[in-house]
Amino acid sequence: MRRLIETNGWTIGLGLLLALLLLATRLIQPDFGTSGLDSLARAALPFALATVGMAVVVIAGGIDLSVAAMMAVASVTGAVLMDGASDGQAVLAVIAVLALGLAMGALNGALIVLTRVTDIVVTLAMLFVWQGVALLVLNAPGGGAAPWLRALVAGGITLPGVPAGLTGWLPRGVVFLTAVTALIWLPVARSKLGLMIYAIGSDASAAFRSGVPVGRTRIAAYAIGGLFAALGGLSVTMGTGIGEPIPGPYLLASVAAVVLGGVVLGGGRGGLLGPILAVFVLRTVRMDLTLLSVDPNVAAIVEGTIMVAVVMFGAVLATRGRGA
Amino acid sequence: MKKLLLGTAALALGLGLAGMADAKGYKIGISNTVQGNGWREEMICAMKAQALASGEVESLNIAHRNTDAAGQLEDIRNLIQAGVNAIVVNPANADGINAAIKEATDAGIVVVAVDQAVTEPSAYILSNNQEEYAYLGAKWLFNQLGGKGAVVYMRGAAGAGADNDRDKGFKRAMAEFPGITIAQEVFTGWQQDQGKQQINDIIAAGVPFQGVWTSGIDNVIVDAFVESGAPLVPIVGADNAGFVGQLSSVKGLKGAAVTNPGSVGGAGVELAIQILDGKKPAEKTVLVDPELWDNVSDEGKAKLAAAANPKLSPEWPVSVSIPGWTTYTMDQIIACKGPGE
Repeated sequence: MRRLIETNGWTIGLGLLLALLLLATRLIQPDFGTSGLDSLARAALPFALATVGMAVVVIAGGIDLSVAAMMAVASVTGAVLMDGASDGQAVLAVIAVLALGLAMGALNGALIVLTRVTDIVVTLAMLFVWQGVALLVLNAPGGGAAPWLRALVAGGITLPGVPAGLTGWLPRGVVFLTAVTALIWLPVARSKLGLMIYAIGSDASAAFRSGVPVGRTRIAAYAIGGLFAALGGLSVTMGTGIGEPIPGPYLLASVAAVVLGGVVLGGGRGGLLGPILAVFVLRTVRMDLTLLSVDPNVAAIVEGTIMVAVVMFGAVLATRGRGA
Repeated sequence: MKKLLLGTAALALGLGLAGMADAKGYKIGISNTVQGNGWREEMICAMKAQALASGEVESLNIAHRNTDAAGQLEDIRNLIQAGVNAIVVNPANADGINAAIKEATDAGIVVVAVDQAVTEPSAYILSNNQEEYAYLGAKWLFNQLGGKGAVVYMRGAAGAGADNDRDKGFKRAMAEFPGITIAQEVFTGWQQDQGKQQINDIIAAGVPFQGVWTSGIDNVIVDAFVESGAPLVPIVGADNAGFVGQLSSVKGLKGAAVTNPGSVGGAGVELAIQILDGKKPAEKTVLVDPELWDNVSDEGKAKLAAAANPKLSPEWPVSVSIPGWTTYTMDQIIACKGPGE
């Protein structure tokens, strides 16, 4: 038990912070309840998926600056394929978009491995490439989304035979996020690939000497990142009902949440739960600032300050812990 | 003693009235997705000024940041949580925020979309006619060239709804003038620095052209011509204060400003207040049609002279009010203060 708390201290701390923030939201707005949780979950969903994708790449010792642009490509591709399609065709469209995400991520990774150019430079270049691709697919917001897909993340959970009061508070968005993340990441994390991803992030040359195929592992990590980016793009389309070719503010937000979530930039350490909690913390802060009607120009400063303060506070705790 | 009584009574009545005004105080939410652009900043200031001038708004809840439609869904839902009576929104695009607008109107909140339209039928729309904006300016430019020649087509942001509507209007004018060709088509992203770099490149490359149409990034284009010493060609821009000033001050410049009032935001707040007061408009969509002021005709020159205002920031549109809608003063919009600030 003690070991569990020690190794997951940061994540537990973020969980407590989130609980405190939700409590504060309740104090600011006494009506805050089920619908508030639901809108929070829906707002967090694209950020959370982008963050998870970024976290996997960062754990592998890289960074992917094209995550928001890949989301835009996935969003417009999904919206174009689903426009006027039947439910069955929409399933195929979703599969196609996920495959596209894997391919985009793998291409990013392959370019880094083959050209030996720094990840920052390659993915920055790919950011512009994917932006252009998104505009080629759809030059203005448009397309559509299958109603069943949109319903996946709207409202609370209802189970047959269970009274709505018991499960209705739990937003579908949270369940969707948990399900896809677990479905993709748990098998990877428990396999050799997961170990190798942490290994190359921790020390690539040591991993190489231990027989880890560094290049292939790196490509796999970027491909998983691309898959999550595609899910993030789909979640944008699920929320808006259309595809948007101009990337949203997900790049910087995902890097921020990854850092706040306890993943070490440089790789090798951290998990996915921390970054996801960090996304919810940041979204709740944004909600509270709107509820408090804080001057919008000040709000951005407040958001940034909170982020720095939390990370610095964590660093102080970590140093103290080591000293004791 | 009698005087004192009367005075007290008057005071009580006054306080009572003030109390009633307070009771009526509406809470209005605002959502906007472009920050740091002169036009949008004027829009926000017009919203604040109109809320203050109306005397009926107790507080404004402003969600104003750079984000996409998904982020605007979040902002609108947060405003619903904040319990506002009305939401005035400049939509990121026509379809993307319908879900949240429907949730708001279902909760009894009045929603007014300004500047650009939304397709959700429960929302009111008060918007500038963007297609007509491009058509008017392009037609003037093509007439200036005698229906023959090549023009530089400097658009807004690729993929933006307003840019798309303007493109329709531009193409409509093109169809009427078969002798006109496009020398270069670029997206300025509605960014001053980007637009200036692009026109400098085009001038330096020596591409022949006889006119320039801009989607509101205008004063830096004139600057580029003046600084490089290239011969001036007719230029169409928006009614931004800087460009309007240049139309009367730069020697040899022929040009036209098409109005695209950012004060449409103030009109949107006024419309929301009227609906909350029970005065619903006959139509759900109100379009504000643009005007064209050129520095070639006497009528245009008079309009330009009347509109020029050195007190405004050069990126702000000079049409700071919309007759019949906004009731604030020039000083109020420049002060940019809302109720309780």
